Amino acid sequence: MPIKPIREKWKGTMTDRERFNHQMHYRPFDRCFNMEFGYWDENFTQWKMFKENGIKSDSQADLFFSFDRLECVSGNIWLSPHFEGKVVEETETTRTVLNGDGLLAVERKDGSSIPHYIGSSVVTPDDWKRVKEERMRVDDPARIVNIEWLKERYPDDRDFPLSVNCGSMIGKIRDMLTFEGLAYACYDYPDMVEDMVEQCCLLVEHFLDQVLPHITFDLASGWEDICFKNGPIVTVDFFKNVVTPRYKRIRKKLDAYGIDIWYTDCDGDVRPLLPYMLEGGINCLFPFEVNGCAHPSELFAEYGKDLRIMGGVDKMALGSGRDAIDSYMKSLAPLVERGGYIPFCDHRCPPNVPEEDYLYYLDLKEAMFGLK
Amino acid sequence: MSLFEEISATLQQGRKPKVEQLVQQGLDEGISPKSLLEEGLLPGMEVIGEKFKNNQVFVPEVLVAARAMNAGVAVLKPYIAAEEIGGKGKVVIGTVKGDLHDIGKNLVKLMMEGRGLTVVDLGIDVPAETFVTAAIENDADVICCSALLTTTMNEMKTVVEKSEEFNIRDKVKIIIGGAPVTQSFCDSIGADSYTEDAATAADVALEYCSV
Repeated sequence: MPIKPIREKWKGTMTDRERFNHQMHYRPFDRCFNMEFGYWDENFTQWKMFKENGIKSDSQADLFFSFDRLECVSGNIWLSPHFEGKVVEETETTRTVLNGDGLLAVERKDGSSIPHYIGSSVVTPDDWKRVKEERMRVDDPARIVNIEWLKERYPDDRDFPLSVNCGSMIGKIRDMLTFEGLAYACYDYPDMVEDMVEQCCLLVEHFLDQVLPHITFDLASGWEDICFKNGPIVTVDFFKNVVTPRYKRIRKKLDAYGIDIWYTDCDGDVRPLLPYMLEGGINCLFPFEVNGCAHPSELFAEYGKDLRIMGGVDKMALGSGRDAIDSYMKSLAPLVERGGYIPFCDHRCPPNVPEEDYLYYLDLKEAMFGLK
Repeated sequence: MSLFEEISATLQQGRKPKVEQLVQQGLDEGISPKSLLEEGLLPGMEVIGEKFKNNQVFVPEVLVAARAMNAGVAVLKPYIAAEEIGGKGKVVIGTVKGDLHDIGKNLVKLMMEGRGLTVVDLGIDVPAETFVTAAIENDADVICCSALLTTTMNEMKTVVEKSEEFNIRDKVKIIIGGAPVTQSFCDSIGADSYTEDAATAADVALEYCSV
């Protein structure tokens, strides 16, 4: 069924691309870039407006709310091929699966919680050697990018911003080894973990070498999720000495093509790692988590205009009623005005937010940050 | 540096084989297992807990230190009564029903064991009634509930209600924690304590067990 938007696109005098680039480079912009990160799966089955209008995915919701457009080009920069997924065991409410990353995971059948990881296919250097040879080869033909298709889809004169995905230097390794497994491996097999980071970097560099000469990107993106509410899940020394030098190599490639904004998606309290992210060339946090870290203004006060933030609307405030939403949004007004900040819910909007309040938030956002 | 200090320092560095070796050396020298535990291993974990609370170390350091402590305790186990390991009190811990997250819960467990508490781990996706029946069966001093999701944290309220229904509310303290949990939420459901991090949860549990 065709998507009938519930909200019109915010009025503006710039294209989405002009607006994004102006806003993130502290230049005058017509109005705030309007985007959201997404929704829990339950929102699609519980929110009446989604159910009645056949909205079943984040991309459909983007059209439904007429958000501004931001797209990303990703390459084959991880396991290739992935492990073959299979169900190992089932109960009434859960299933135990071997997933594509080679992890043994318990999942709830109703999808209401992220999986519980109970085992990894990579524990020792011998395991890694095998996986590296079988699934992490840079010269795998499956890693060749279809440049002509991309050029056709993303011409230089497009009117929306486009990011190039710089992947993950340590987050996917965390996925592969498990949270505890990574911590132990850094102590037990430091050379193995560094070699894993190096291989991730080589795969990203290989991808960037293919696409950067042919496509004009507005920003770079990435994902780590290497922190939680009590700080990083790798040691600061490891991050500084092993991860940051690889970021610097990627930064050099981006610089050669004039791509100066680079965000990474990292949940939790990123503050202990942030100096080393900035040193490596990552200068934007996305979709910056408030409850696990701080109000965005605290980080801006510390890092000034060297840091940009996308996200940072506290999902807890969205679920706490309209007074809480009003109060929180007011706290963001000076940040939008300063530039380098695009507000949206810090991660997918959870189902405890009433849909009426979510619409109230979207309308308030337009009233505060839309075209005056 | 005394042997106790060396055990403590080595444990803080996460050097599991060295901790095992030093604890064995202590036994060979005729030092009592209880002293090795209480003057070497537990103080080491206490320092790690303090550093964790003060953001001087983070989760990886805690995990490897706890692993080293467990290795040291394993060396002592044949020579020490079970009640002396973890003899400072008993806690039942779990992640509430509907929630499969266990990282925070595991950290709290490690910290509590590192402070000399016995911890009965109920795992993940634990129904409220299971917390309460496990507390009764194990004669626990504390119930500790973890949740990462805004949608599952309300199950903690059910744990409080079930403890009242089973008439143990005046006998056990209930500690709650997890990313979405706050002090005001704790107050609203009538739990005893909300703690911001694993080390503080261990401190509070120890305090409750000492009363």
